[in-house]
Amino acid sequence: MTSAQLAAAVKKAVPGSVTAHEQGLDMPTLTVKPEKLVEVATHLRDAMGKNFLSAVSAVDHLGYGEDVAGYFGTERGRDMNATGSWGTPLTVAQPPKRFAVRYHLAHVGDGPTERVRIQVWLDDGQEVPSVVGVWPTADWHEREQYDLMGIHFAGHPNLRRLIMPTDWAGHPLRKDYPIGGEPVQFTDAV
Amino acid sequence: MAVRPVSISRAVRSEDLEQYIMLTTVEKALAWAQSNSIWPAGFGLACCAIEMMALPSPRYDIARFGAEVFRSSPRQSDLLIVSGRVSHKMAPPLRQVYDQMLVPKWVMAMGACSSSGGMFANYAILQGVDKIVPVDVHVPGCPPRPEAVLDGFRLIQKKIRAGIPPAYELEKSKA
Amino acid sequence: MSTIDERPPAPVLPLYEPAKIPPGAPSKVDPPAGADLITVNFGPNHPSTHGVLRLIVTLDGEVVVGLDADIGYVHTGFEKNFEQKTYWKGIPYSPRMDYVAFFANELAYVGAVERLIDIEVPPRAQWIRMLFAELTRIHSHLIYLCTSAVEMGALSVFFYCLRERDSVLDLFEMATGVRMHDRYPQFGGVAEDLPKGFYAECRRFLADMPKRIDEYLDLLAGNPVWKSRYQGIGTITGETAIAMGLSGPNLRASGVPYDIRRLEPYLAYDQVEFDVITRPGGDAYDRFMCRTLEMYESVKIVEQCLDSMPSGPVMANDRKYVLPPRHELHTSMESLIHHFKLVTEGFRVAPGQVYHTVESPRGEFGCYLVSDGGAKPWRAHFRAPSFVSLQSTAMMSVNRYVGDMIVVVGSLDGVMGEADR
Repeated sequence: MTSAQLAAAVKKAVPGSVTAHEQGLDMPTLTVKPEKLVEVATHLRDAMGKNFLSAVSAVDHLGYGEDVAGYFGTERGRDMNATGSWGTPLTVAQPPKRFAVRYHLAHVGDGPTERVRIQVWLDDGQEVPSVVGVWPTADWHEREQYDLMGIHFAGHPNLRRLIMPTDWAGHPLRKDYPIGGEPVQFTDAV
Repeated sequence: MAVRPVSISRAVRSEDLEQYIMLTTVEKALAWAQSNSIWPAGFGLACCAIEMMALPSPRYDIARFGAEVFRSSPRQSDLLIVSGRVSHKMAPPLRQVYDQMLVPKWVMAMGACSSSGGMFANYAILQGVDKIVPVDVHVPGCPPRPEAVLDGFRLIQKKIRAGIPPAYELEKSKA
Repeated sequence: MSTIDERPPAPVLPLYEPAKIPPGAPSKVDPPAGADLITVNFGPNHPSTHGVLRLIVTLDGEVVVGLDADIGYVHTGFEKNFEQKTYWKGIPYSPRMDYVAFFANELAYVGAVERLIDIEVPPRAQWIRMLFAELTRIHSHLIYLCTSAVEMGALSVFFYCLRERDSVLDLFEMATGVRMHDRYPQFGGVAEDLPKGFYAECRRFLADMPKRIDEYLDLLAGNPVWKSRYQGIGTITGETAIAMGLSGPNLRASGVPYDIRRLEPYLAYDQVEFDVITRPGGDAYDRFMCRTLEMYESVKIVEQCLDSMPSGPVMANDRKYVLPPRHELHTSMESLIHHFKLVTEGFRVAPGQVYHTVESPRGEFGCYLVSDGGAKPWRAHFRAPSFVSLQSTAMMSVNRYVGDMIVVVGSLDGVMGEADR
């Protein structure tokens, strides 16, 4: 099923939910409005057979695509390898909002797996409804993304830190959280 | 040193006495006994734990060096083998387990992650377990081969036999 | 005098009763209100939890009435580390997540990047990777067997499995140079070709291995003690398992024939014959049988790999992504420059995202990579099957004895390194 067909089918069942769709390298990707997420999820599970939630991944796009393409003495510089570019930087489409939460679904049972991805765009602090009621396996996935990225899942029965210690401050996987560790002094450093 | 049975009635010259009796100091005898009966407490955390599990296996057989069993309880063990990366969440339980061990006790930091944080220089991993427990032997490797761990084990045995006190005593005397 | 005799006995589920998803949070069971309940901490350092898993268990006598799993004790910050290193430098990080089935993690990461850069891997490299993937499956199931057996007190199986495990690691060492955590799969192929003498050594191993698996089955499968500890415990139906996200042998033991090697073939799995082992029961015994019988299938696949290994290069010839062979660095200026650029700067990957799944011995191991066009991944998220299967511990252990809880945790075959990442 192509992403256009998928988007059409979902739009028919849950009007006003799908804002974009993309075929993608590996599976069709649907962009869904956060408030309609649970309805879309229920429709996908019941009517379209996506009974297996494989992963919930949150991505922080702070600084995405800024002056991208290789380095040249700095963090992000110029693409020296692109033929004919003479080092001009590559431009990358800016994401609409800072956070994206992506749900990877599959069909497990008779027939091919037919993977599908739904994504939701969020601002910092914006909530997204929890899909624990649709796929119970989302419990720890959402807790982990809350813990490491700070995304609030409204309606989650047990939203607390899972991986970091309970009194940890901050959300480590965010782009504005430093990598940490400690500086190592080498013996021949001045 | 050859020991032959001798009837008690025969007079023995003092020069020949060493052929029949082993003479040593109490410290050396104690050290011989201690070094040949170190029971590790496996503190298996990550990949190094899998290589530590290979130690009692038939090929590497740590039991021939005296480490007959890996005790689960720290109260019954002598050597804490910290095998794996120690996260900040795991550091308090590690210190608790170390405190529960009875003196004399030794600590082996097995692998790069427990010696120095390894390849994980980040917010999550304690950069070296010697920040919270005094370490006797660091075994490098990621993960170290079982032979390397056995080499570290032999180092601890040599240390004990040489009369060097365990690391916590050295730290106390330093402080 | 004492109220113990007047108290009703604690509820124990009959054997084979399938686990039900608890109301509220699916991954924990709150204890009922009542006096005389003890809360015990199966702490992170425990001989029977596979790695550092902490279970906060509420007991009514010997019966588990409440359970909450606390993970994160070996959280290493892998995902953040991947964002700091170029793609090539991330390869040594990948096997250290699921440190028992290390090759599967590397395959997932390397496969995901190869899809993003759209590079074609030569067939010989695919077959070599498949060979080692199946050897990793054997290694992982051996570790599962030896730890599960040692928890039940079957100490001999521990030593037998470790003996076989050393033979598997000998093969790894022969080809890659290290026992564990080889950085053998590289983008575009594998690091080196198989050495001389590998085929003979491997065939010797394959001739021996089925007899050893027969030995394990002899010792355990018909053993009345083993059966009474394992049969009927931790039963889960196929539907509940899918809802809870179980995959791999955990799901196949409940009757659902979901195997990524069959449904979405990667490497060369569509060119070899093997059975997908499915068992109908869904209890711990079926999971144990599923894994042990899978070892026979892995042996079959490795044999077919040795028989039908195609000849040819083991690395793609795309010098923009693949390091040049070392002897060329002495003669060719372009190779030297490419080597320098690839190692220091790294290749750039076009913006995009990909979710690549492989059939790890534990289940569906997924690598989700987002690239922003730079030389380092923007986001690397790994879907670890142990992370997902540990959620089912509570529902499978509640209203059973403490000893059965140990069986459940063991039969789910979780590795905390990948659960915590």
